[in-house]
Amino acid sequence: MTNAGEKNLGRRQLLVRGAKAAVSIAVAGALAYSMYDREGPKREAEKIKLVSLPDFSVPGRDEQTLAIVAGEDRAKTAAKAVELLGGIERFVSPGDVVAIKPNIAFASPSILGATTHPDVISAIVRLCYEKGRAKKVIVTDNPINDPASCFTISGIGKAAAAAGADVVMPKEGLFQYTTLEGGKLIVNWPVYYGPLEEADKLIGIAPVKDHHRSGASMTMKNWYGLLGGRRNIFHQDINTIIAELAMLVRPTLVILDGTVTMMTNGPTGGSISDLKKTNAMIASCDMVAADAFGSSLLGLEPSDLPYLALAEKAGVGTADYESLKPIRASVT
Amino acid sequence: MLLFSRRTRRFESVIGTLILFLLIATAVGIYILQRDVDMARFGVSSLVAGDSSAAGETSPGGGSLEPRGPSHESLFFGLSTDNFSPVGTAETYNADNLYEKIDGKAPMYVESGFNLLTTQRFVSEDNTELCLEIYLYDMGNPRNAFSVFSRQKRADGTDWPELLYAYQTSNALYVSYGKYYIEAIGFAESQKLIDVMKKIAQQLTAQLGTGDEGKIAELGFFPPQGTIAGSWKLYLNSAFGFEGLSDIFSARFQIGEGMVTVFLGRQGNAAEARTIAESYRDFLTSNGATILSAESEALKSADASVLDFYGSTEIIFTAGRFVGGVHEADEKQSAEKAAEVLLARLNKIGGLGD
Repeated sequence: MTNAGEKNLGRRQLLVRGAKAAVSIAVAGALAYSMYDREGPKREAEKIKLVSLPDFSVPGRDEQTLAIVAGEDRAKTAAKAVELLGGIERFVSPGDVVAIKPNIAFASPSILGATTHPDVISAIVRLCYEKGRAKKVIVTDNPINDPASCFTISGIGKAAAAAGADVVMPKEGLFQYTTLEGGKLIVNWPVYYGPLEEADKLIGIAPVKDHHRSGASMTMKNWYGLLGGRRNIFHQDINTIIAELAMLVRPTLVILDGTVTMMTNGPTGGSISDLKKTNAMIASCDMVAADAFGSSLLGLEPSDLPYLALAEKAGVGTADYESLKPIRASVT
Repeated sequence: MLLFSRRTRRFESVIGTLILFLLIATAVGIYILQRDVDMARFGVSSLVAGDSSAAGETSPGGGSLEPRGPSHESLFFGLSTDNFSPVGTAETYNADNLYEKIDGKAPMYVESGFNLLTTQRFVSEDNTELCLEIYLYDMGNPRNAFSVFSRQKRADGTDWPELLYAYQTSNALYVSYGKYYIEAIGFAESQKLIDVMKKIAQQLTAQLGTGDEGKIAELGFFPPQGTIAGSWKLYLNSAFGFEGLSDIFSARFQIGEGMVTVFLGRQGNAAEARTIAESYRDFLTSNGATILSAESEALKSADASVLDFYGSTEIIFTAGRFVGGVHEADEKQSAEKAAEVLLARLNKIGGLGD
């Protein structure tokens, strides 16, 4: 049939069709040229929207910045430590959304001390609801290992849910890019921003651990879990990244659980023999002071942890924790 | 014929129009996707931070989830485990993503020649509280494996005599076998868990076995009398904070009532050993150590350096191609005695020197 059509094709039609084809090619070429990007796709950093982490801190009170409670029962010592700083009502207002950031880095059971103990999480979630009258408490982290395994095996997912908290696991959409003003490392870097965006208050809860790279992992190092991306590259400059995280995150309160301290082979440990009973629970509005005290549980001096000096110099807090006149108590 | 021709032309026009619309839709789709390109999805999110290493699939936080390279998953198939079942499939990690499993410990492994980690979790079919996880590290060669094994050794661990380099704690078992370092971590303190770990370790080493358990010759160079067996550590590089000290073995050494740390390392030749010893001495003095005179005639003869380093005693000497000494001793006298014994031993070995 085509042959029949071609037989009927006159010179005029041929010219018209040829002209149409030429115009089509020219239009397509012009369109492609107008859309051609000589520089190629821009790097995300150059066009991403940067966010700023909110300031979750509450006004300071003289001689109510650091509390140290001795005892073995984590629920009791944690509640007592918060009470000594003025009670949870000082930190959580009725109707607040509270984000709690434990250390759930590993799919490791609480008996090994590599993650925050679920008993502390339960106690603080309940305090937030019962005395702080929080509207919602979120328990979240961006673990190193598979998140579902970490929340399950650490016991934190179950404990938090039983206490009424919303357990939030990391998803791609919850990360946003941020830059720390004057920062050397946190520049256009993805952080776990989603849960913090809706929060009014932020509480960090961390265990006391030896750390192969930084010397210790406590409340300041706990914020490492907020970093996205290939965050392991920061291990090359671990002291700077910990100090920068402490500058970036301004929490309402930090709780350092030194009931058991991982003395060796941190941060993962693995053997119960890596642990030592140290029976201390610390609540603080000054995370530098909390970690400085925590260093003593590891048998270290604050000067052994360079990131404390860096954070202190940046005005985050003081490593001279005794100058804060810590409130001490013990519970049985 | 004409009717057929018209119908055909109409049909061709319809098809042509559809193809044109399809092409336009494709072009628009490409344009939209290109405007919203997310480099992280293509494994180059780290470019934002200047990291040029490529990544595989990305985790919610952007980290790599896909292991690369060969694995040892098949080793875990068909193990006899006394009613302990594997949980999920084995996971593997290479040097790029090892941190996703062990975070801050990863650099120690990577710097020690790490090649591949394979992990597998097991749970008791009778009691789900009883879990354990096996970490099988391929460290490339026996010395690398022994280094990470020895440097993490728990002081209160008790030897497991079934294998050459193995010990257990109340919830875990640790083995250095050939080029492999194996950790079996129990999620509770339980004899049943320990028994299963041992059974798994025996089967794994039997499968991995090439007849070479990775015996480390230098351990036999320490004096048999006084050296605390099992206290050995191998520093592949930067021993005692000094970059120039590599391949150094240390051990705890009983001297009278006290205990000191002695060390030795076999170098290429005697001249090289002397250069390293002098460099280490200079490193210590440049960091505040002061040189003391040795009381021991043997140490004087060997031209050993005895130093006070902020209250502790350091001794460095050479014996043929060996560098040896004492590190961070509380008392100078004990340090010198231990150094004398080690020096005599290394001189006796002699034939290994030049």
